[in-house]
Amino acid sequence: MSIEVLENLKKAVVEYDGEGAVSWARKAVEEGADPVKAADALAEAAKQVGDAFGRGELWLPDLVATASVMEKAMPVVLEAMERRGQSRRTLGTVVAGTVFGDIHSIGKSMVVAMARTSGFDVVDLGVDVTAQKFLEAVKEYKADILAMSALLTTTMYEQKKVVEALKKAGTREKTKVVVGGGAITQEFADKIGADGYRATAPMAAELFKELMRVR
Amino acid sequence: MVMKGFTRKFKPLEILTEEQLEAIHRGTLEVLEKTGVRVEHERALKMFKENGCEVDYKRMRVSFPPGLVEECLHKCPSSFHLKARDPKNDLRIGGNTLYFSTFSGMRILDLDTWKTRPATKTENVEAIKVLDALDNLHYHSAYTPYFEVEGISPSMSIPEGVAALMRYSTKVIQANYALDCEIFNIKMAKTVGIEVNGACLASPPLTYRRDAIESAFRFVEAGFPVWVCSGVMMGASGPATIAGSTITNNAEVMTGIVLTQLIKPGTRVWAGDCAFPMEMRTGSSAFGAIESSLHQVVFSQIWRKYGIPIVSCAVGPSSSKQIDFQCGYEKAIGAMLSALSGANVLTSYGGVYGELAFHPVQAILDDEIAGMVGRFIESVDVTEETLAIDLIDEVGPIPGMYLDKEHTRKWWKKEQFMPKVADRTSYPEWMEKGKKSALDHAKERMKEILATHEPTPLTSDQEAALERILEEARKYYSERGLL
Repeated sequence: MSIEVLENLKKAVVEYDGEGAVSWARKAVEEGADPVKAADALAEAAKQVGDAFGRGELWLPDLVATASVMEKAMPVVLEAMERRGQSRRTLGTVVAGTVFGDIHSIGKSMVVAMARTSGFDVVDLGVDVTAQKFLEAVKEYKADILAMSALLTTTMYEQKKVVEALKKAGTREKTKVVVGGGAITQEFADKIGADGYRATAPMAAELFKELMRVR
Repeated sequence: MVMKGFTRKFKPLEILTEEQLEAIHRGTLEVLEKTGVRVEHERALKMFKENGCEVDYKRMRVSFPPGLVEECLHKCPSSFHLKARDPKNDLRIGGNTLYFSTFSGMRILDLDTWKTRPATKTENVEAIKVLDALDNLHYHSAYTPYFEVEGISPSMSIPEGVAALMRYSTKVIQANYALDCEIFNIKMAKTVGIEVNGACLASPPLTYRRDAIESAFRFVEAGFPVWVCSGVMMGASGPATIAGSTITNNAEVMTGIVLTQLIKPGTRVWAGDCAFPMEMRTGSSAFGAIESSLHQVVFSQIWRKYGIPIVSCAVGPSSSKQIDFQCGYEKAIGAMLSALSGANVLTSYGGVYGELAFHPVQAILDDEIAGMVGRFIESVDVTEETLAIDLIDEVGPIPGMYLDKEHTRKWWKKEQFMPKVADRTSYPEWMEKGKKSALDHAKERMKEILATHEPTPLTSDQEAALERILEEARKYYSERGLL
């Protein structure tokens, strides 16, 4: 695989070009090169955007656009890795979603974007996610972190249900549970037995890193 | 008899040309027809279909023919009466009137540490008593000052909040929906013999959740008015541009209004705007942003043309986490511009940061802003007597003066708004009396109100009926594992 292809792949990511990223990722894979290197290139480019956000040079729309480029291009190289039976090191795997009964997606999407541009693999379950669905995804993807969002005082107790479901399934110790959303407070997070709470998406990504260091 | 509120006596602020307004109106109808709105409610979908909308049941998507939308807008009353527990607190919404109302917060704010925590039941009652006592607070547009009250489960927070408002205030009350609580709110209102205002809030972009629609059905069928509002976050749940997010926001509000008019033509409705730009670093709403005012002024200009009473909701919170200069200027500028735009209700009292924090001391400060804004929109009286030409002639140059004239004694109090908390003492007096700020005065005023103001209590029959309905609600939620 030529270095040029990887450079173009990175360039597509930092220029928010989803189609370009997908076609350069395909090209990399088709050229028979190491898909781990392509995955690393994607992650590195996303991290560049994440770092620029951290320095105050870029903004949330840039970050979310980058995350959606990653969402399109990453599966291409991950599939190739799977075919070869390869794996790669990431900061960790995050399963994220907005709880059952709640369709607020923007906060959750920002957390997903922050995590993706910080070096995490993220499985985004979307909104209105049942406790059962969270539980299944945590098991399937061997999630290091489960991140749940609830905006409403009427839906925040769903997060407790999920924590209980993890306990019941005997997987609570394997996954760190992080909660957030408009209605959530640190006291609430403590009360339901979550491992952490943060008020904003950038703070959540920092928390993810802290939790992975602790592990 | 109704509470007078304030009356705007001059042309409202208009910032768009007719062509620009028309472009937004046309754009909104185009979006309603072409893109459509997701309405997650079977009965509503059927009703839309029966009235000529195209409905995709699987996607719960409704496309509205422009004619139907315009017809429904015409059916809304341009002004209407709202009944309070005490008839002297009834309101007449619409036209040139301006009323002020509450903006609730989840928690109470500590005035020394600026930390938030759930309010106690006593603090919730105290907040309502303060709101009941304030001159320019005409209307409890929020169902409770606080959503988080110690010892009250989230499921009971609205019914308990509404009951507390009925007990400790005789002003007009709003009663929201969540988890079917509107059933109990409606029952309580009917028992006490007042009207409560329902709500139907969109979930932008272009979506109505089932509970919002169910709420509209319940309140309209009970004969109560409905507050239809949307709260776009510019750049997140709507376009980043003010023009574009006005289109999505209006399409959302119109959908709710069409629904109410199809359920029962002539239903009393307000159109509410609660737009904030997204703060592109934290992802929160940028509360108190000047773009919210631009959005509101455009919204008011359009909805005045539709002849539907207008609510301005974005004037409630600030981005400041404390009661300080930023909180003051953000709220004051927002309130003034909304009032100038011709909005009929401003939900401004008591909110501090977002919907996180409320404090009655802030409501007391907002009462001052309301007084100043209200004074301004009542404009300048120009009559033979106020022109005072004969008097000017009589007084002439120095050593003539006006202080000893009967005209002055008669008019100064009519002309001047008298602040209750602004510090207007002389400098030496201010130094001597402990260098107090408006915030200090507001804290003192709160103590004074709580020491002297006793809201008219409910009769013992009303009280007993209220408690019965609350008990019924507790049973309802307990059976559903929500208590």
